[in-house]
Amino acid sequence: MKPVFVILIIWFMTVFLYVSAFSKTSDDILTDLDLGFKLEEIKKKPYSINAEIEITETIRVLDQDALLFKQKYLDKKKEDMAWQTDFDLTLEGEFQKDTIRLYGRFNSLLYYNEEENFESQRKAEEAYISFQPSFIWAFDAGKKVHRWGKGYAFSPSAFFSRPRDIDDPDTTLEGYYSLSADYIKSMEGLVKTIAITPVLMPVTRELNHEINLKDELLWGGKVYLFVFDTDMDFMFLISDNMDKRFGIDFSKNLSPAFEIHGDAALVKDYQQYIIDEYGNISEQEYTAFSLLLGLRYLSSRDTTYIFEYYRNGQGYSAREYKNYLTFIKTGFDQYLNTSSQASISKSRTVSAYYNQQAAMRGYLYLKVSQKDPFDILYFVPAITFVYNISDQSASITPQFTYSPLTNLTLDLKTPFLIGESKTEYGEKMNKTKFVISIKYFF
Amino acid sequence: MKKIFIIVLLGLLSSITAFALDGNEILKQVDRNLNPESFEMYRKLINIEPDGTKKEFVMFSVKKGKEKIASVFLSPASEKGRSTLRIGENMWLYIPNVGKPIRITSLQSVTGGVFNNSDIMRVDYNSEYNCEKIETTDKGYTLYLRARLKNVAYETLTMFIDSEKLLPYKIEAYAASGMLIKILYFKNIKDFGNGIIRPEIIETDSPLYKGYKSYIVFANVKKRDLASEIFSLNYMHKIDGLRQ
Repeated sequence: MKPVFVILIIWFMTVFLYVSAFSKTSDDILTDLDLGFKLEEIKKKPYSINAEIEITETIRVLDQDALLFKQKYLDKKKEDMAWQTDFDLTLEGEFQKDTIRLYGRFNSLLYYNEEENFESQRKAEEAYISFQPSFIWAFDAGKKVHRWGKGYAFSPSAFFSRPRDIDDPDTTLEGYYSLSADYIKSMEGLVKTIAITPVLMPVTRELNHEINLKDELLWGGKVYLFVFDTDMDFMFLISDNMDKRFGIDFSKNLSPAFEIHGDAALVKDYQQYIIDEYGNISEQEYTAFSLLLGLRYLSSRDTTYIFEYYRNGQGYSAREYKNYLTFIKTGFDQYLNTSSQASISKSRTVSAYYNQQAAMRGYLYLKVSQKDPFDILYFVPAITFVYNISDQSASITPQFTYSPLTNLTLDLKTPFLIGESKTEYGEKMNKTKFVISIKYFF
Repeated sequence: MKKIFIIVLLGLLSSITAFALDGNEILKQVDRNLNPESFEMYRKLINIEPDGTKKEFVMFSVKKGKEKIASVFLSPASEKGRSTLRIGENMWLYIPNVGKPIRITSLQSVTGGVFNNSDIMRVDYNSEYNCEKIETTDKGYTLYLRARLKNVAYETLTMFIDSEKLLPYKIEAYAASGMLIKILYFKNIKDFGNGIIRPEIIETDSPLYKGYKSYIVFANVKKRDLASEIFSLNYMHKIDGLRQ
């Protein structure tokens, strides 16, 4: 795979140099400033199509001593590095005629790595029809993202959406099939806006089967209030077979540069699967309370700080997580001694719960980004810290984003993981990653 | 003598009050001349770097009343569909990828360059500022404005007004420390129809961004009755649908 990597690096450098040269020599250079509007710039069309193409090279530095590496690969000797190349195309289309609007966002991913060779995935991230009889009412049917909650990195009250990626909280999510409505009412007085969003979400073998194996109709809703210059939401989800969820969030600017936000969720009858250090799997049911408190601060030097504290009521305690890792260690030792994969296989049956992001009880998140440093316009370096309060492990991710040309973005980020043995970040498969991407919008 | 002194003092006080009233009345008139209370418009924002490179953004905006404005970006492709909302001092940005509105501040800039969000999501000056002093000059009036609330991008403004047209031709924006943050120049008075005659171009530069210039160019400014519900978080992703 190395030649591919070398080719990509050369390609990136070529593009970068070309971009730099282009930015100096194209007709973007101002000779006669044209301040006029062209008709096509503002002409309304009933349809619109947009696309973005992203090429990403990911180099993973593997930690062969990590327990999650052993859980997945056993003692297979791999190279210390693994490469993956992604070609990602997203098409977004919209058509509007009177009160009817059709919207779709479709993603196609082709990737190459040593293990799987070439693989591809295609999915409709969103595809729905809207009926908007008035400014007050709207009805949506189809696959849609309902992104609730005020948290940036974590969203305990996002009841009708998939979990977001902590490493890239701004990335698009895939929606679920649902029926929903929006009722908006503006008024004078303390409550300036009220918006009600009821949601119906069927779960069957064909639709939304990732949520639950049993057929049922989930229902819930969100009530938004804009009161005392504060955004507030009240949310709930009711299910016959799953837990019942209730949430509240808020967001407010205390000054032009300082915003605070919070999310809280109560999950009744939450069922958690637990494995002990001997491999006994049990199910415990309890009411889980999750809380997020955060702030966003913009300094006079254009530095943005996003800080969040997250108590994950559905997460595992340090002891519970350590038991899981201890059982993997026991299973691996058993495999070395007897060639039996029974214990390791058993640990894999609960890996979907334990190996997911933010699987434990408490986290701190801090992202610091600087706009246009050293007078380099459209350049944003950032650094992100995620600290696991429960076991004192952490990840640190420096990131550089640069948009030298309109519609073109270059991005480089390198997460480093820090942690003792038998901690969340200390036992991940990768020591670090280098992720280089170039994205073009058209 | 004492009576004369009191009469003169009262006269002076009443004239000061009259001037203050005049200043705010002039400011209200300037707001109405710049745009109707409820209207739509297209704007092109152009940021020019010291080496001459430029970056352009086209946006469609609707405004209602003194303090509600919503906009959606039409180009470039990387920004298309992003929308902004302002209600009083509250500002939000909706990014299609993120899929939910997030709060932003007047000091940030959704486009980069010299214009900040307060300039891009401009509401009536009269709703944000109080006229503390008015001076008459050869060209018209100079209004010294101070922010009514704390949560504004500029603590004070000095607005230079053409008394014939009752339109600004220059605004100096200052921080609370007294530091000059930027100067806005209003240029090219244009008849947009239906009695809307206003500058077509706002040019700005700033001592904080030496060598950089930014422009806002206005097009299709026209009156429009708008429902208040448009100016809400739940409507932000649908603003493009308001274009006719």
